Amino acid sequence: MNDDDLVLRNLTYARFVGLGRAPTADEVAVAGGCDRAEVMGGWERLYAEHALVLDLAAGSIRMANPFSGVPTGYRVHAGGRWWYGNCAWDAFGICAALHADGRIEASCPDCGQSMQIAVRDQRPDDASLLFHCLVPAARWWDDIGFT
Amino acid sequence: MNLFRSGEHIRPWLAGRGPGATIPVEKLSELAHAWWDDRLSPYWRPHTRDGNQAILDRLGLAGDFWRLPGS
Repeated sequence: MNDDDLVLRNLTYARFVGLGRAPTADEVAVAGGCDRAEVMGGWERLYAEHALVLDLAAGSIRMANPFSGVPTGYRVHAGGRWWYGNCAWDAFGICAALHADGRIEASCPDCGQSMQIAVRDQRPDDASLLFHCLVPAARWWDDIGFT
Repeated sequence: MNLFRSGEHIRPWLAGRGPGATIPVEKLSELAHAWWDDRLSPYWRPHTRDGNQAILDRLGLAGDFWRLPGS
């Protein structure tokens, strides 16, 4: 990752947290004093390096892990805002990235029963739950949306 | 990468697919905090493959399933 892309990546994440949602390319361009094409070019390189995930058809951010740019089944309240995590791992990751306690709302993929988990001092308040990862680590990025 | 109420809820959800890996939610939280803690730092640098593997290894997530590509 070159220095310009690192700056763009950090600016993109900062805008994500500042806005409470995925920034558009135009918003990042304004914040960075550059044009939209430069942002899109940089985002595409960052996507190739797995530093974020784009919806190429829409020209928007799908994932700035652990944050999701679109609604998911993992809602997280942390740092005074609601966020979406890409998966269970990322839901906890939002608390980690924000260095904040939080509350995760999800539902069991099997039975649909809702689950609320408080995260305090990096620990969940319900130790009975289980995390299942279907895809082996070697293939996580083969189809990151499915993973 | 999903959270389940118990192991009894994972088996039917798999619907015949081979199981992946299951860990307690407390371990997941440890993993998430080790993995994502620096994500918003202005000094963030891309994690190396070996650095990420070291996180998995340190948390006892060993074996082929948890082996990142490129090793």
